Amino acid sequence: MRALCAVFRMRFREELRYRGAVIGGVICQTFFGLILIAVYRALYDTRPQTLPLQDVVTYVWLQQAFFRMMLSFDGELTEKIRSGGIAYDLCRPLNTYAYYYTRGMAQKVMGSLLRSVPMLVIAVLLPDGWGLRAPVTVPALLCALVSLGCGLLCVCALDMISNGFTLLTLDGRGIQSLLNLLMMTFSGNILPLTLFPDSWQGVIRVLPYAQLLDAPIRIYTGSQPLSGVPAIWTLQLAWTAVLTLCGLLLWNANRKRLVLQGG
Amino acid sequence: MSYIHVSDLSKTYIVRKKKSGSLLARERTEVKALRNMSFEAERGELIGYIGPNGAGKSTTIKILSGILTPDGGEVSVGGVCPWKDRKRHVGRIGVVFGQRTQLWWDVPVRDSYDLLREIYHVSRADYDAQLRRLTEVLDLEPLMNTPLRMLSLGQRMRAELAGSLLHRPELLFLDEPTIGLDAVSKLMIRDFLKRENRENGTTVMLTTHDMEDISALCSRVMVIGKGQKLYDGGLNELLSAYDTVHIMTVRYADPLVQPVLPEGCEAEADGETLKITYRPDRVPTPVLLTALQEAGTIRDLTAQPQNIDRLVADMYKEMGM
Amino acid sequence: MNTIRFCMHSIRMLMKSRLQYPLSFTVQTLAQLVMEAGEMLAVLLVIDRFGSLKEWSGGELLIFFGVMSITFYLTEIFGRGITGGIDSMIRQGGMDILLIRPRSVITQMVCRDVDPRRIGCIAVGLTALITGTAQIGLVWTAGRILLLLEAIFFGMMLVLGLFLIEATCSIFSVRSLEMVNTLTYGGRSACQYPIDVFPKPIRLLFSVIAPFSLTLHVPVSFIVGKPLFGWPQWTAFVCPLSGAVILAVMTVVFNIGIRHYRSTGS
Repeated sequence: MRALCAVFRMRFREELRYRGAVIGGVICQTFFGLILIAVYRALYDTRPQTLPLQDVVTYVWLQQAFFRMMLSFDGELTEKIRSGGIAYDLCRPLNTYAYYYTRGMAQKVMGSLLRSVPMLVIAVLLPDGWGLRAPVTVPALLCALVSLGCGLLCVCALDMISNGFTLLTLDGRGIQSLLNLLMMTFSGNILPLTLFPDSWQGVIRVLPYAQLLDAPIRIYTGSQPLSGVPAIWTLQLAWTAVLTLCGLLLWNANRKRLVLQGG
Repeated sequence: MSYIHVSDLSKTYIVRKKKSGSLLARERTEVKALRNMSFEAERGELIGYIGPNGAGKSTTIKILSGILTPDGGEVSVGGVCPWKDRKRHVGRIGVVFGQRTQLWWDVPVRDSYDLLREIYHVSRADYDAQLRRLTEVLDLEPLMNTPLRMLSLGQRMRAELAGSLLHRPELLFLDEPTIGLDAVSKLMIRDFLKRENRENGTTVMLTTHDMEDISALCSRVMVIGKGQKLYDGGLNELLSAYDTVHIMTVRYADPLVQPVLPEGCEAEADGETLKITYRPDRVPTPVLLTALQEAGTIRDLTAQPQNIDRLVADMYKEMGM
Repeated sequence: MNTIRFCMHSIRMLMKSRLQYPLSFTVQTLAQLVMEAGEMLAVLLVIDRFGSLKEWSGGELLIFFGVMSITFYLTEIFGRGITGGIDSMIRQGGMDILLIRPRSVITQMVCRDVDPRRIGCIAVGLTALITGTAQIGLVWTAGRILLLLEAIFFGMMLVLGLFLIEATCSIFSVRSLEMVNTLTYGGRSACQYPIDVFPKPIRLLFSVIAPFSLTLHVPVSFIVGKPLFGWPQWTAFVCPLSGAVILAVMTVVFNIGIRHYRSTGS
């Protein structure tokens, strides 16, 4: 637990060091949010949908604010894999999987913490029809926050699987970009999942990608009634368990391979 | 007017540093890299340019080679001002940086040269002749088809030198060309530079921290400290003018021997050896030697001249900086 | 002429070194294709859900998208030397090397790197263009083709000009490159949709500062037969020239910036 806190603190300081990038990121993300909302407003002018426009606007802002949580980029890990230094890490008595899992999570949490707060303030201040709307109820907000936490666990486990594949193949750029595309598409970043074709809904809602942001946002806006929340939490935690298990198996297989090769 | 004419050159950098203890505030300080630097040089000279880190050596070289624009002062190299007529100026000079490469990293050396020919508008015949000559003198044949990143530091420096001379520049700037090189490579590069200067009349100006570079190559030395010229003249005159403190190390057969030293000498024990610092103008060397011999049987004795950094530090002191 | 020969020479040389590892090259090109296909998927999904955007039909939206990605990624193939890691290049003293050569710094930056992997993205752009053409039954007359080529050519100049803003910021070691990305990548994302869907401030931004609307929307809307704002025909041929204006202005700004370049190192 102490080590975990240390990793988070270190990450926070690192983020503070690059506050120029944070400010730039906030401006960039806000701009993208505005563009998307402008497009949705025009689209709704043409043909209104059952999902209220205001919910789409809120969806866009929350997606943009927590954009960082979707990115999986651990420069140190990629560098270590490329240089082969990871072999030493894997042979150490330390639990490498837990270490990089925590690192990845710290990166997501601290990165989006610094960015999301100013962005949400901006989004709340925007005029009606452009700005972020308050959560339907206070319990919904709390449930959404819990769900965000569960989603985070799930996505970090997912990242560890793709890291495991990178370890296996050494150059993971190909598979990484495919996984990024899946993430951007099916997390709802390019288009709210509700607006995907109706026939797809049954599948994309269940995918692990939907767990990070789509599920919490639906609870936040109230399009997911509170009665269904326990089912969502269960799904999120089930995915987390399955993905963590797969990741652990993959990393252990890697370690055995490296040990056999003699590092 | 002289070939190189520099007068009243000055350059100030503004440095923003994070204030300690504060997250956001930054301190703004001005660093005067050059203050009213002036000198002249003629064609065919071989000038050594020395001084401690941060003295303004690189700034001078970078202004003279058209990279930086100064805040004030005048420069003319063969009648051209480097920063006002950059393209014309740099077409006639060559620059070598010891710590960065100007060839392409992932590309065979020969391909880099071919592209440099295009960049410098060198005619095919001229290029072929010059490349043949450089390949022979610098022994480049074995490296020609190897990508730069696979060369050793010494090989790379040879390749760089050839690259900077393909267009037959009349003036060559070298910024620490021998940094990090082994003895063999250093000797080879010194010989090459001397030959280039003698046979083709190339004017050479080089910065270095290696005193051997200077004594092997340069008839003229300029010393810079804190942005100002401290000395300009021959190397021997420099050494005799500022070489005020000598060091002698002595080791006795019996380590317990304590010599009685003449007044004005300072002794410092380092294991079995004794390091004595003295000023020959106050304590003549023969007097010190006699005193040392009288104390006991000497097993080992060495006299060292000053190293350049000490010398420059002494010059600072003398100039009250 | 000599400059063009120099560019061709360095591009040939860089291509050669890039293609030394054909497998890695193929994989990365495919990866680029997949990423851009994701962008196209977004447009397709929007069309599937909403049918049309204001008076623009699905096919027309695809044509806008296609021309935008062809323009943008063609520029990235050659503009990679300007945007790709320019700040780290400057930190490592690479700018010194460009300055000691008797060529314009911008030419040398363009020749510094190429990124042939972007043909993956361009392939997607072409697919969108062809699909869109088929959907609205557009006939490519000589005039339309000419106009399309003009739009792409001057659009590339515009994007190159925007890339130069990034390079100019890097000279002064301004780290917040993401802010500049707002204009370039934000412009690409926004202006793949017709300009008239946006409110006035955004429209102004992309008509004056980064005039994608003039290089892209005016000519393309004319090609599909729905001239923007009811402007006359000749405007479609004149407006794209604004791309050249932006490039010229940014070249001047960049060259002023270079005068204030402060090298790194001792």
